[in-house]
Amino acid sequence: MERNQMRRQLALIRQSFFDQGFLDEQFIQLEELQDDANPNFVEEVVTLYYRDSSRLILNIDQALERNPLDFNKLDNYMHQFKGSSTSIGAKKVKAECTQFREYCKAGNSEGCMRTFQQLKKEYAILKRKLEAYFQQARQAGPLETACRSRN
Amino acid sequence: MGAEVDHVSPMGMSGGSAEGNDKSEGQRFSCKNKLTALVVDNGGVCRAIQTALLRSYGVETEAVETGEAAVQLIASGATFNLIIIEMLLPVLNGPETARQIRAMGAQSKILGITAFFDERHQQEFLAAGADGFIEKPLSPEIVIPIIWELDNYM
Repeated sequence: MERNQMRRQLALIRQSFFDQGFLDEQFIQLEELQDDANPNFVEEVVTLYYRDSSRLILNIDQALERNPLDFNKLDNYMHQFKGSSTSIGAKKVKAECTQFREYCKAGNSEGCMRTFQQLKKEYAILKRKLEAYFQQARQAGPLETACRSRN
Repeated sequence: MGAEVDHVSPMGMSGGSAEGNDKSEGQRFSCKNKLTALVVDNGGVCRAIQTALLRSYGVETEAVETGEAAVQLIASGATFNLIIIEMLLPVLNGPETARQIRAMGAQSKILGITAFFDERHQQEFLAAGADGFIEKPLSPEIVIPIIWELDNYM
């Protein structure tokens, strides 16, 4: 059956996100929170993440154009970015956030700028992967199995 | 229809990373008593996830964006068993929010939460009257014991 095949492929794609370090267990926590009452929880949260983060990225980009850099401001932006990235399980993005913060604390402008470029790359890669994944998941359709019991 | 219900996964996929949470084997942990919680975080993603996590254990949870809103809520008479407060809130920061909440006589369990663990921030929070301080993400490992304790020692 085509649908089963699609689902199997989707499962492999999903597994690759973990194996290749794009996502960590926190993403599984999100999946665990998805149920009949919140059938699209994961996609909704991820969409919210990308929407909120795009604003943060803009702010950080602008802040990085200042001279000299306001490391305190940058640190605050990154705090929020790391918080949300960690919460959705974005493993590589989270690592870049941590690196960025180290450079902030050290007052290293060059390091901050370099790391932020890398962060944006990882962020964009994950975004593409997740968007494609959710789109294919929608095509594969939901499984008609019993749902997890809830009190 | 296939009787074999696979491991819980919304897309119908099984497995995952090393952990393989087998929550499908039993019911999800849930509190017996009516417990309430308040999430205070200026990030929408964190608010959404923390709220959903607490609710999944049967805790009635509200979320606000600012320390001021949290203080106002409690000043208006709302009580919560558990309050989770982000460290770097814009106007009224986490510790200050906790301090004001305690000053109103609230007995809630207060947990400070942050994106980057920092000992100074931990000290600030604890000095302000928080009971604990953790680094994000808010996880079942952290939250279940807290809920269990609140539930059993009311």
